[in-house]
Amino acid sequence: MPIFECRNLTKSYGAAPALSNVSLTVEPGRVVGLLGPNGSGKTTMIKLANGLLTPNSGEVLINGMKPGIETKKIVSYLPERTYLSEWMSAAQLMDFFGDFYPDFRRDRAEEMLARLGISQQQRVKQMSKGTREKVQLIMVMSRAAKLYLLDEPIGGVDPATRDYILSTIIQNYEPDSSIIISTHLIADVEKVLDEVIFLNRGEVVLRSSVDAIREEKGKSVDELFREVFRC
Amino acid sequence: MLGKLLKHEFRATARTMWPFYAALLITSLGANVAVRVMESKKYSDSVLLRIFSTLVIILFVVALAAVGIMTLVMMVQRFQKNLLTSEGYLMFTLPVSEHSLILSKTITAAVWFLATGAAQVLAMLIMSFRVSYVNKAWEDIRQLFSQITSYYAVNGAAFILEALAVAFLGCAVTCLMFYAAMALGYGFPTHKGLLSVVFFFVFLVALQILGTMGLFASFDGGLLGRGYVGTNTAVEVIRSVHLAMGVAAAAELVLGGIFYAVTALNLKHRLNLE
Repeated sequence: MPIFECRNLTKSYGAAPALSNVSLTVEPGRVVGLLGPNGSGKTTMIKLANGLLTPNSGEVLINGMKPGIETKKIVSYLPERTYLSEWMSAAQLMDFFGDFYPDFRRDRAEEMLARLGISQQQRVKQMSKGTREKVQLIMVMSRAAKLYLLDEPIGGVDPATRDYILSTIIQNYEPDSSIIISTHLIADVEKVLDEVIFLNRGEVVLRSSVDAIREEKGKSVDELFREVFRC
Repeated sequence: MLGKLLKHEFRATARTMWPFYAALLITSLGANVAVRVMESKKYSDSVLLRIFSTLVIILFVVALAAVGIMTLVMMVQRFQKNLLTSEGYLMFTLPVSEHSLILSKTITAAVWFLATGAAQVLAMLIMSFRVSYVNKAWEDIRQLFSQITSYYAVNGAAFILEALAVAFLGCAVTCLMFYAAMALGYGFPTHKGLLSVVFFFVFLVALQILGTMGLFASFDGGLLGRGYVGTNTAVEVIRSVHLAMGVAAAAELVLGGIFYAVTALNLKHRLNLE
């Protein structure tokens, strides 16, 4: 059974379509890049998968289930913005995640915080933007989830932090779990991807394994992306 | 999961409320001393002391009002910030239902409203402790309660418990009215805050109209008109008060149910986080 599936998924904001009749599946154990320019529908698809939006038609299924309490137990979601309460400390965040997610591994989170030199007593409001993003990623990746939905995890951070974030993602996900990474920073993420899905104006324009792109087209994913989405 | 949500909700809100309660109690102590100074023949001639005492009493009155206003602001801001802005991305992806989220916010806010009421009463008691002219007023109130208890036996205590229950329901319904207005307003793509205010005033006007209609209906062939309510005998008074409390509680439950449904349906089907 696919861990993630869209069936004729359509979502529009007023008259503007964000996703048009999208159908795709992601199997367990895959790292998939959801790639496309700004406004291509990446964030909308991830929000639909999290139940933050409802589709106009079609459906999105997580492990065969519509988004709801059961799917939220197995999905670890990193939005493209900081969603942490500013008054909370890193320790309180771990309490919070530990209380609501049985798959949250506190020891893993503590280890990653210590490696980055982030005090557990430090409050979110005292952290820099980059540190907040790292802490948020640590919370998300400290869960032993079946599906990780990461929306622009490396947007807006420096190259050194990007490397740290990507290595954290790859080192911490469970082998039988899947990761869907939405981004337009292809060059940075393509080394960790198994497959790519190109989205443009709410439609899937290409679906391929990264190896096939390199072997059959003789190009990197970044080169192919620039070719497909040339302005 | 509701228990866990309540735990974190109280943790998040207590850090705002405790400092206000502490400030209120400290100013009430100050006001008590200030009133005694003003009453005292020994110090009352000092202009400086009188000015200072007046300022302390003003500060106490401001603190008394500020705690009430802060409770209301906290209730609105907590719902808006925690569910309808960036923090909503975390709250709505927790493995909990929308009902648990709404209930946790409503219960916590209603408890804080009651706590604020209790803190205000305690502050006034502290302020008036052994102050001669205020003591007289408290003595009158105490006597009134003792008369009610002696006259209506256990019904006196029952009245107070019923009044507290109606007050708790009233606090919860007030919260839900704010929540319903925000849930509706934030479902729109733009002018979310402005639309929330508009919906709140629409609810307020609708409640005024319904309340007035209910009052007329109760006279015109209703409970009042049919003689269920009266003040001629003790039995009539007891029945009237219990009936009034019951009607008030039922009305609160119906209104609360409507506002709750509006909030839940909008958060479930019209959630529009930016």
